[in-house]
Amino acid sequence: MAEPTIVQADENMTFWDKHRISLLLIITVLVALTLTVVSMFAYNASGTAQLDLSRPGYLSVSDKVDRTDKITEYSAYGSVNKDSINEFTKLYDEQAAKAKAVDAFNGDPLNPEVLEFGVSNVSE
Amino acid sequence: MFIAVAAMTVLLGLTAQSVHAQSTSLTQDQIERIRTNCTSTKSTLNQLHASDALLRVNRGQVYESMASRLMDPFNSRLGNNRLDAKATSVVTSGYRGALDTFRSNYKSYEEKLSSAIRIDCTEQPESFYRTIEEARTLRSKVHDDVIKLHRYIDDYRTAVGDFLLNYERLSE
Repeated sequence: MAEPTIVQADENMTFWDKHRISLLLIITVLVALTLTVVSMFAYNASGTAQLDLSRPGYLSVSDKVDRTDKITEYSAYGSVNKDSINEFTKLYDEQAAKAKAVDAFNGDPLNPEVLEFGVSNVSE
Repeated sequence: MFIAVAAMTVLLGLTAQSVHAQSTSLTQDQIERIRTNCTSTKSTLNQLHASDALLRVNRGQVYESMASRLMDPFNSRLGNNRLDAKATSVVTSGYRGALDTFRSNYKSYEEKLSSAIRIDCTEQPESFYRTIEEARTLRSKVHDDVIKLHRYIDDYRTAVGDFLLNYERLSE
């Protein structure tokens, strides 16, 4: 008497009841794919990609990131008097000198003349 | 009337495109030079791409620290002591804006340089040349942003100096 009952229960199962594992796997893969796409979009749109020196093409410079130059943080708390302002200006002047020491992105390395194909006389 | 205006707009657009295409057209000799030097140019661009990325990371850290570790805490300290921090706050706000522009312009420049590196200069020398010219303009903008940041750094120092003078005068 038990066997017909089992058969009847199996017949009552819907398509999704029978494929629950497959459905779970498909949903899991879709969620993972969606999260990956969103992450990659955020990675590229936010400018993080430009700071990621572990990318291919940056290996030659990835170990040259300056990790030693830590700026001492000025405390936001405490009294303000001539000494505390002078302490700040001393700290600020030191860091300002370091910040301005490099005239970054100067020069014209993308000038056609520099790039050896000298096409500065483009018809205009 | 609407159709006539639309037709005129399309015509003007096509003319402008034609003028643009003419302005960037290269002679056969120039195209050949780009093809001949393709490998060495790509190598130079790759080196520049890497060295500029390192520069962006290192300078970016310094510029960000100037605001977050020095300017912001000093402004907060003045505020906490109920002192007038308006002048220094205005400069800090301008500095933050310039820093955002620097980040944004560097991103545009890096994307343009990357697309130039991806172009096959033996097959598409004109497109390669145009993309490099665009990257060159964008790199120049990044340099302008650096100059602006340096100017804001000086302005902030001046604002602090002015604050100190006023503070001393009022303390006497």
